[in-house]
This record gives sequence, structure tokens and C-alpha cells, in this order.
Amino acid sequence: MTDILVSRKLGREYRWRGGSNRALVDVDLRVPKGVVLGLLGRNGAGKTTFVRISSTSLMPTAGTLEVFGHDVVRDPDPVRARIAVIPQESRPFYWLTPTELVSYYLRMRGSARAEAERTALRTLEELELSHWKNTQVNRLSGGLRRRVMVAMVMASDAEFLFLDEPTTGLDPLARRSVWSAIRKAAHEDRTILLTTHYLDEAEALSDQLAILESGRLLAHGSPADIAARVKYPYRVTLEDGFAPPDLEEMGQVTRVGNKTLLFTDEPRANELARQALEKGRRISMGPVSLEDLFVQIVGKEISQDDEEAVSAA
Amino acid sequence: MPHSRLRAIWALVSMNGFLPLKRQPLFLLNTLTSPFSFLFLIFVVSGGNPTYVQFAVAGGMVLTVLSIGTSLQTDLTHYKQDLKFHEMAVASPISAGTYVMGLALSEFVYSLPGMIVFVVLSLIWAHYVFLGGLIVFGTLVLLWIFASSLGFTLATYLADVRETFAVSPLISIALTVIPPVYYPIGALSRWPLLQDAAQFAPTTWAANLVKGAMGLAPLSLESGIEAVVILLASATLLFLIAWKKAQWREN
Repeated sequence: MTDILVSRKLGREYRWRGGSNRALVDVDLRVPKGVVLGLLGRNGAGKTTFVRISSTSLMPTAGTLEVFGHDVVRDPDPVRARIAVIPQESRPFYWLTPTELVSYYLRMRGSARAEAERTALRTLEELELSHWKNTQVNRLSGGLRRRVMVAMVMASDAEFLFLDEPTTGLDPLARRSVWSAIRKAAHEDRTILLTTHYLDEAEALSDQLAILESGRLLAHGSPADIAARVKYPYRVTLEDGFAPPDLEEMGQVTRVGNKTLLFTDEPRANELARQALEKGRRISMGPVSLEDLFVQIVGKEISQDDEEAVSAA
Repeated sequence: MPHSRLRAIWALVSMNGFLPLKRQPLFLLNTLTSPFSFLFLIFVVSGGNPTYVQFAVAGGMVLTVLSIGTSLQTDLTHYKQDLKFHEMAVASPISAGTYVMGLALSEFVYSLPGMIVFVVLSLIWAHYVFLGGLIVFGTLVLLWIFASSLGFTLATYLADVRETFAVSPLISIALTVIPPVYYPIGALSRWPLLQDAAQFAPTTWAANLVKGAMGLAPLSLESGIEAVVILLASATLLFLIAWKKAQWREN
């Protein structure tokens, strides 16, 4: 499969008077054509910086990044013609209607008026926005506004879409409608780089996952590849302070709130379940989910900020 | 110019010019407030003296066009920092030049009603010299390029739209209130330093040309050429600064 995006030792350091922050450090990543890549990471992990460099909005300070074989620093124009982005926290012009927003965006990208309007109406229908197609955006809810943003880039002819947290703030039904649009785009052989905080979303949509933490790429591959790479395939959740003395030796332990998570292998999980039953304590266990994989790889939950972080074995 | 570029410019003019004006006419009043405030003030203070009112009409034209630059600066900053529309434009086939041209023309749409009023007033009160209309038009086009380039350059360095609220009044004061835009340059003769400093403002030269074209002040061929050259040089310089220094993408 052809790689549409190739980053080599990509780095980005933000500098300001009296300080600096390395948002990306030596990121080597390849995105093959036609896949949905879920880029996961906690707040400040470097996801948006990666998207902004890839979509030619931000210059890297180290390494290289090529999209469609063109270096985004030296030769961005051929890249720009074939990409579209929904930036994080972007908002639509409030005085326009969804139909106008989508069709003017397409006309801005070079489409003829009639074609732009036709495509706009079709895309709004696909995203279940037809009911509001002629309503001024300032009368729409935050979730609907976000879906209109999604409609703008989905309607474009871009081959590579960058969606930076496109479903933040949407209710579950609205999220499903955006998911359908993303799936449809993927079926049309478009490549999608999706950043999200929702691991269920990444699990449902992504062919490949990449996990960033503190600007470094910790894992990349298909969900199955990543699952196979982790040491412990079982997750055990211990509550009510139940913790055998040799817990730390049984696997990887992470404490979140009043719960203790143990990632371990099947025999040890069974042993722990037996002990809990004997003592009448509450315990739950099962194969690891994407959320668990994230915790095992990063050592923290995706929603955890640094100050909330707890030790990982 | 390719069709796709024209389409992009027209799309930006429509979405940022015609449609907001149509849906929120208050925007229209906003663009008229500053130029007409000065006109009203001068009208009242001068007791309706036609000479001063004519100068104020000429100044109103200059300020209306300069406002395009300050409005552009605010819009560009808002679209970049708040709406993130700038990022969407960067990640598309549109070029920086097309984006700025589209938005600068959309600001021109905003200024059109004010310009029409001032042109009508000037036709009532002024006595245009030969080719005066052409001189005014050319002057305002050069000033539009200057103001738009200034707005674009500043917008790329401002971190928040609130900063534009601080910068815009400073630009207006430095380029239209202090220099002899609304009043004759002779009024500064008692303060030679101020008179010399006014020569650095391109708006002084633009106002000289407009006033000369309207028959309010003598405009010799030499002084006209001098004003055109300075205005052209200012517009070109600002355009080049915008071209080289303004950031289409973040460094």
C-alpha cells in the first residue's frame, strides 16, 4: 500500500521568552492510502501539532514530513490542493446557513456554483442536517454547528482529510452520524487522520492507531497489532481497597480514583478472582479494551491530566 | 486569472461582505460611524462653514478606505484565532494572495455605502477639477492596497482579537486624526514639527490628492506627481512587507 504521509524524526518546539516546550519529538509515522488512522493521546500529547504540521499550517522545527510525496515545508502547494482539515475548536461563520457554509467553502476551493450547491445539499443530507439546511448557524446548537464543520470538509474533493477532534461536544446520536460520514469517506478510498479523545470512536473507526504521549510516538499499528504487542491481555478491576500483598508482582498496576487496575495474564487473573471470591470482595475482569491498551502503553488514562497521573508499575 | 481563483475571491466577498451586511444591517452603521462623527463634529464646530465641511468630506473618504485595513485586521485575526477558518483556508487550494484579496474586497463592500454617501456629498459641495474623479478613484485604490496590506501584516502577529481593538484606534489616530486629513495642512503651520511629521503619513498625501481633485486646495502637476509617487511607494512597500513578513502559516 502506498504511504500518503511519511514523517521522519519530526519535531516541533514552541519557544517563548523564558521557556520552551517540545510538542513533538522524533516522530516517525507512515499513513497508508485509504486508511483511517486514529491518533490518540492525552491533552498536550502533540496530536494537534502533528495535524497542523501535516496540513501545512505549522512549520516543524526538526525532521521532515511528506504528504503525497511532497515535502510540506518546501513544496506545500501540491499538498494543499488535495487535503482538507477541521481544526480543533473551529467554528462556522454564524451569519451563514449550513447550505451556504458548505457551498461557499467548496466555491472557495474552486468548485462552480451549481456543482457546489448540489454537493452541499447532498452532504447535508448524508449528515442528517437537511432539516436545518436554511437555518442561520447562530440558531443551531453547538453539536449541529460542529456537524456543519464536518460537512464542509466531507463535501470537498480532498483525498486526505484531517479531522481534529471532530465529535467533541456532540451527543451520542450526533456522533454516530459523523461516524457514518467518516465511514463513507473511507469507503470512497479517502485517507483520514482522526484525532479523538473518545477511545470507543477510535476503536469503531480506525484501521490503524497511533498513540502519542509527551510528543513521542509510543505505538503505531492496527488495533490487533497493538493488542498483540502489550504484555498483559487481561484487565482486572479491584474495588473497595481489596489488594493482595503480592499485587505489584502480578502485572502492571494503575490506580485511578478508588479503583485499582491490574493488567495481567489469564492464570493470574483467575487466581485473583478466586482470592476475591473467597474473601467476598468485588472484582471484575475481562480482555483488555482499547482504553486498557492506552493505559498500559501510556501509563495513564486518556482523560487524565498530568497532575492527576498516578504511578504505573 | 484562472476561473477557480475568481470563484474563490467571489465566494469570500459573498460570505464575508454581502451576506453579513444583508443579515445584520447594524454592520453598515458601524462602518459609517467614525467618518460621519468627524464630519458632524466639523460641521457643528465650524458653524456649517462650507470650506471646512468640504475638507471633512474629503477626509471622510480617506478614513472610510483606511477603515478597510483596520476591519480586515480584525476579521483576519478573528478568523485565525477564534474560528480557525484561516487554517481551513491554508489547508486548501486557495493561496494567501487570493484569501487576502477576497477578504479585502469584502471589506470594500462594507465601505461602499459610506463611500457612496461621501461621493454624493462631494458632488454637492465640491468643484471637481478636470479628471478629478479619476484622481480620487486612483488615490483611494492605492490607499486600499496600503490599508489592506497593513491589516494583513498586523493580523498575522496578533494573538487575539482583543489586541486588534487596541491596535485599530492607534492606527486611526496616527493616520487620520493627527495628519491633515480632515483639515487643511496649513492649519499645522504653527507647529512645524507636527507638519513635518505629517509628511510620513501616506494618508496626508492621499488627502492632498483628494482635496486637490475636489478643488479644495491647489494641486500642481509637480505636487500631484510627488503625492502619487509617495502613495504608490507606501502601498508597494506595505504590500511587499505583507508578502514577505506576514505569515500564511505559523513558523
